[in-house]
Amino acid sequence: MSVNLKMFLKKTIIGPSILINGRLSGEEDLTVRGRVEGEVALSRRLIVDKTGIVKANVSVKHAIISGVVVGNITATDCVELTPGGRMVGDIAAPRVIIVEGASFRGRVHMGDAQTLREARERLGTKPAATSQTSASARFSSSSSLSPISRPPSVPRLILRSTPIPLTQKPIPRPLNTMANVPPSPPSPPEDIPPTDALPMDDDDEFSGDKPLPPEPPAFMEANQKKVVLKKKK
Amino acid sequence: MANTIIGSSIIIDGEISGDEDLVIQGTVKGRISLKESLYVESSGIVEADIDTQNVEIAGRVTGNIVASDKVELKADCRVIGDIKSPRILIADGAAFKGNVDMDIKD
Repeated sequence: MSVNLKMFLKKTIIGPSILINGRLSGEEDLTVRGRVEGEVALSRRLIVDKTGIVKANVSVKHAIISGVVVGNITATDCVELTPGGRMVGDIAAPRVIIVEGASFRGRVHMGDAQTLREARERLGTKPAATSQTSASARFSSSSSLSPISRPPSVPRLILRSTPIPLTQKPIPRPLNTMANVPPSPPSPPEDIPPTDALPMDDDDEFSGDKPLPPEPPAFMEANQKKVVLKKKK
Repeated sequence: MANTIIGSSIIIDGEISGDEDLVIQGTVKGRISLKESLYVESSGIVEADIDTQNVEIAGRVTGNIVASDKVELKADCRVIGDIKSPRILIADGAAFKGNVDMDIKD
């Protein structure tokens, strides 16, 4: 009976009193509550629970450490040290998360910006892919400028560039960035500061795009009018 | 309370020891010594010497088995090796090659 129940759990758990000494490899999530020594190679996640001790060189996709790890970890995605996690060894992974309360001694190698970007794209490819199919060549070229790291910075730019008068206008833009096209918003904010001429050109080229191009001139006209009024005063 | 499960895609080459039940759905090579029960499920492949209290085998085992309580070979299992245990059960359909020693004293 108990054996049948266990068959439905599709991951591997090393219980708290178990010691494995040797080489462990596989293609599924592994939770260690006991002790594993030697070498661990997984194509998915390694979870070291509070009671877990891993003394091994580890090669995984994603490691979450709440217990103790002594050895080097190479992850293709992410290494996460939780508040109870303790680790001695080197980490090589595009994403490394060490939270308050975790203890760690060793080197961290996140790779160059390219690998980091690739890792992020692998995690969230879908918006970028749709934008490339729907948007024009210029948008796709602008998307080469680290598409996913951009959107967070866009709201900040807008907040700085629109001081008091325009509280309503900036709102549609972040929505657009979230919903449709991550890479596209960087171009309008960059265009706004210099002159009026650039957004107007965009209007001609991208008449099909509804919200983005018409707004910048409206911004600028509103700003200019008010500025002019202030000057007159 | 069995809370150790070696999943079907896992391959372990080395030694496993412990004080709790162990369920093997994957592959283990080397040596297994437990104080509780070992379950080798139908997808499990074990090439190891086994030393436990109880063994239930529905998969493939190659190696010598020593159990302090019971060894059970279920239907469709394949076992090659010697078995030493006071109680040994071999079900209809099980394939087994090796010596059986129930430790009977003359």
